[in-house]
Amino acid sequence: MAIFGECFRISLSTAMAYRANFIMVMTILFFSNTLFPLVTILIYGSGSGFPGWTFYEVLLIQAVFTISSGIGEVFFNGLFWNTNFAIRDGLFEVSLLKPVNALFWGVVSSIQPTGISVVLGGVAMAAVALAHTAPLTVASVSMAALLFLCGVSVTFSVTCFMSAISFKWVGNSRIPEMFGSILDFAKYPQDVFPLAVRGFTTIVMPVAMIGYYPAAALLGRADGASFVAIVPCAIFSVFAIWFYQKMIHRYEGVGG
Amino acid sequence: MRPVEAIVRRLRILRAVAFVTYKEWSAYRTHSMVSIIVGPLYFVVQYFIWNAVYGNAAAHGDTALHGMEFSQMLVYFGVNALIGYLTMDFADWNLQMLVGTGKYLTFALRPIHHRFFAFSQKVGHRILGFFFEFVPCLLIFLFLFRVPLVPPQPLWAALSIGLSFLMTFFVNYCIGLSAFWFVRASGIRSVYTILNSVFSGALIPLVFFPETVQRILFFLPFQYILYVPAMVCTGSYRLGGISLSLARIVGLQALAVAAAALLSEALYRAAMRRFTGVGA
Repeated sequence: MAIFGECFRISLSTAMAYRANFIMVMTILFFSNTLFPLVTILIYGSGSGFPGWTFYEVLLIQAVFTISSGIGEVFFNGLFWNTNFAIRDGLFEVSLLKPVNALFWGVVSSIQPTGISVVLGGVAMAAVALAHTAPLTVASVSMAALLFLCGVSVTFSVTCFMSAISFKWVGNSRIPEMFGSILDFAKYPQDVFPLAVRGFTTIVMPVAMIGYYPAAALLGRADGASFVAIVPCAIFSVFAIWFYQKMIHRYEGVGG
Repeated sequence: MRPVEAIVRRLRILRAVAFVTYKEWSAYRTHSMVSIIVGPLYFVVQYFIWNAVYGNAAAHGDTALHGMEFSQMLVYFGVNALIGYLTMDFADWNLQMLVGTGKYLTFALRPIHHRFFAFSQKVGHRILGFFFEFVPCLLIFLFLFRVPLVPPQPLWAALSIGLSFLMTFFVNYCIGLSAFWFVRASGIRSVYTILNSVFSGALIPLVFFPETVQRILFFLPFQYILYVPAMVCTGSYRLGGISLSLARIVGLQALAVAAAALLSEALYRAAMRRFTGVGA
């Protein structure tokens, strides 16, 4: 935690060195993320919508997804770019020489304070959505919090997978695009997808936990399946960390 | 030099630069092939979303949303993905990088307009995209998803996509030229990327926007980049309550491209008056 705290402080100081750029990037990120539900707004504006879901309920799913992505942006999404660039430039040895776990170092050295604006954008969307949905209960908030933590762990696991693939697919900057297209499934009510897709997004690669299940819990729509989905999340996370550690062995470098 | 000789010379330069760019990027062809996964997945998500939305609309007695049937919507998103592979451009990033690092100086000394050089690079890069992104995804859309992607008016569609290719390049080049005025121009590029993704029709057909916004879009470059060619491929065009024949909208697109080309030239000349170099 001491290393983490120190790294966070350094990241913040670095960002503050270019204050104007920091504020501009934060502003752009904030507005670009609040544009994310635009498609949903226009669909509902056309008089149609997703069957069984009001506009604000769908907005809540997308808000939870945005908050989870924002947390990833602040704390660990930079792991992919750090790993990717270090492998490409033959500098990954620097991480391996540190007296801490390489994955841990990769995470703490990639903190990006600008991601806070994504979290704020998501919180603003969630506030608007919750103001128009059924009142929250202690039980629904507790359930949602548990599922949200699982969703964050899935986001982290996806980052681990992307980073691990970089050891084999050197220098490919399009790996996030590939995983991003799978994450698109997590942004909408899962019942619009057929059973096979839902099975994939709940069990094989539980991305539905990032947005859908926590939002469903907040809306009082959580069922047994939501809690069963915690198990694949745990397995997915453990496998992602193991995969990253395993792929480190593939790294070949000659001293940068 | 006679005009014909000048054209032949320029074509030779274009071919040489495009060929070198093609060879250079061929080393990273598997990066391009990521599109073979991303494109179909993007389409599958769109399919299920719009299937649910149109199903809901049908339950209320509507088979069309803003004049678009479900089948037309699928063609729109299929074409939308494919056009991106043909017109993708990074002239803005490239020029900003050259100016930021000072490497632009080497181009200022060459006996060739940098814009033409950048355009030739784009041609080479997109020929690679044609083979490793467009063709595989087209085959998947046609034979696996069975989306009827053959345009009803192929010539107008080809012309519109060609104009979109030029429009993307000229607009991106103008964004890249901003680097001559701003030390860090990446913010401008980010803002443009967001605006383009919203107003080009990449996320949703523009007919879903409020009518006032739709009318304003006639005077902005965004719809000529994606919405116009995508709609021409579906066989009809409508925006802001105005329906135009394919010939008219493609003509309008050609005028917009000419305006963008003139703007890029004016900005280029202004940028050259500002440019100072001290060796690269």
